[in-house]
Amino acid sequence: MGQLIISVGREFGSGGRIIAEALAKRFNLPIYDRHLITEIAEKTGLTTEEIEKYNENPKHRLFSRSVRGYSNSIEDNIAEMQFNFLKTKAESGESFVVVGRCSETKLREYPALCSLFIIGDMDAKIKRVMEVYELSEDKAKDLIDKKDRKRKRYHNYHCSAHWGDSRLYDLCINSSRLGIEGTVDCLENYIRARIGE
Amino acid sequence: MTAAQIFAIVIFVGMFIMIVLDKIERHIVTLGSGVLTLVVVFGICMRSGGAIWDTIALKSFATRDFWYQVAETESKGINWATIIFIAGMMVMVEGMAKAGFFRWLCMKIAYLVKCRTIPVFITFTIMSAVLAMFIDSITVIMFLAAVTVELAQLLKFNPVPMILAEIFCANLGGSATMCGDPPNIIIGTSLGYSFADFLMNTGLIAGVSLIISVVFFYFAFRKEMVSANGAAVDMSKLPKPSEAITNKKDFVLSTIIFICAVVLLVTHSITHLTVATIGLFIAAVTLIVSGKDALKLLKKLDYKTLIFFIGLFIVVGGLEETGILEIIAKFIENISGGNVMLMVAIILWVSAVASAFVDNIPFAATMVPVIQSLSSTSGVDLKTLSWALAIGTDIGGSATPIGASANVVGTSVAAKNGYPISWGRYCKKLAPATVIVLAISTVYIFVRYM
Repeated sequence: MGQLIISVGREFGSGGRIIAEALAKRFNLPIYDRHLITEIAEKTGLTTEEIEKYNENPKHRLFSRSVRGYSNSIEDNIAEMQFNFLKTKAESGESFVVVGRCSETKLREYPALCSLFIIGDMDAKIKRVMEVYELSEDKAKDLIDKKDRKRKRYHNYHCSAHWGDSRLYDLCINSSRLGIEGTVDCLENYIRARIGE
Repeated sequence: MTAAQIFAIVIFVGMFIMIVLDKIERHIVTLGSGVLTLVVVFGICMRSGGAIWDTIALKSFATRDFWYQVAETESKGINWATIIFIAGMMVMVEGMAKAGFFRWLCMKIAYLVKCRTIPVFITFTIMSAVLAMFIDSITVIMFLAAVTVELAQLLKFNPVPMILAEIFCANLGGSATMCGDPPNIIIGTSLGYSFADFLMNTGLIAGVSLIISVVFFYFAFRKEMVSANGAAVDMSKLPKPSEAITNKKDFVLSTIIFICAVVLLVTHSITHLTVATIGLFIAAVTLIVSGKDALKLLKKLDYKTLIFFIGLFIVVGGLEETGILEIIAKFIENISGGNVMLMVAIILWVSAVASAFVDNIPFAATMVPVIQSLSSTSGVDLKTLSWALAIGTDIGGSATPIGASANVVGTSVAAKNGYPISWGRYCKKLAPATVIVLAISTVYIFVRYM
């Protein structure tokens, strides 16, 4: 198998992260999600908590300024570090799975990229979030809205195209239709077809 | 209030909000606002071709004073002298950076003090101020902060205190001369002041403040740096200064050009050459000696900043032509009740507070006609108001991470290397330092000029 980079974008509660982990297992690839934070923490000397605090957060416009490509925003700089980290990995020929981080856009130039976006029916997402986070229905819905709004703002700030726009991805799939296992099977078949296996 | 005045204010306020929000690149914002000013304010509301012509100020190129100035003259509209000078210095700085000058200088000084933390801290902060007197603070901090991080990683100390002190001193050094900080270039070229005028006035304030600031930072940061200072330094692990030089011939030539620029600037009140002439000359020489690399150098020029200035001057011209700035000047005169000390304090402290949160360049460009008007109506010496404005805008910007370009670049370089600097971390030491320097400056101006 040549280089393979699987980028997984996801709506909160769609099971995107679990799907990404399952794909990483099936293709025997490392996955960069929280692990990305750990790797950057090791490289820079920052703690994972410090990175987590600013991770996938859009900057505060009123408290930030950019000058000739430099920004005082820690959020911007952490994001830039992650993008550079992913590009370095992609450049080195390594195969991996990455969750979020605008990876479908930032790694677009690499032919090995296979970009996926996982959506879900609201009912199914609420049910899932209620189970995982032990929340009431209302609170689960609020959390989904809040997280998706945050991801959208982060993505749209760092990329010119819109988060979740189907034209950005090779494949968009609703995990509520086939369930998590079925979705993973379907995506595995697609990826194997893509890499010619 | 006339329609022209209302539109001039709306365009100006809109431009400022757009710059602060940072959604659209600032040069597009100012240029768009400038075009709106020309069309709506001058064209539709005032129906004045003369106002458009005065604001575009192309005729200034044909005047002798633009290139060779014997007496102080004031300019209106687009300040082309500022734009040409900044462009010229940009070309020179690109040439110096390409030859490895800045990195060489940083490494050389680190070697001279044997890479011991506290001596490096003191020499780097002073070097930051001295370099920023002649070179834009963005370039100074870009190189100093990068070398500071590199040394910190090798010598195992926390680079954040040093970077913060360098940022502050770069802004302080910039306030010392006419070419150190864009507000000073605008003030100097608009009001016809010389390099020596700044050096003998804001320069002295900056000199006194630098000594106090270095002492302040030493005591504020010594605990954070003292642990590594005691450890023996293995100099063999450090990159040699000579390794920074990419091309010996280019290095020598760019150093000579830099020295020429400094000499021309320091003596321009004697030679009567304007900063526009000096900027053009320095750029031309740099491009000639660059040979086939001249085009590459030109391509690296920060055109966006130059366009930003053009748009900005047009918008401010709109406020000036419609008499809004006179109204502001009258307002300042009224609230100060004719008290000169209060007037100076208002100019200095309002400029400082505004510059801590918004770009000090549009603020200074707006305030220059205001202090001109204030001086002519109240009789207060224009130079005193100018120094208060220069110090306020230059130093006030140090208080927050977004107040000046050097702050943004310094904190960004630190963050990219794993040392994020939050607002709290930044303001804890630099906001008090800013207040101390502003207080010293206020007292200095009161004692010396009143």
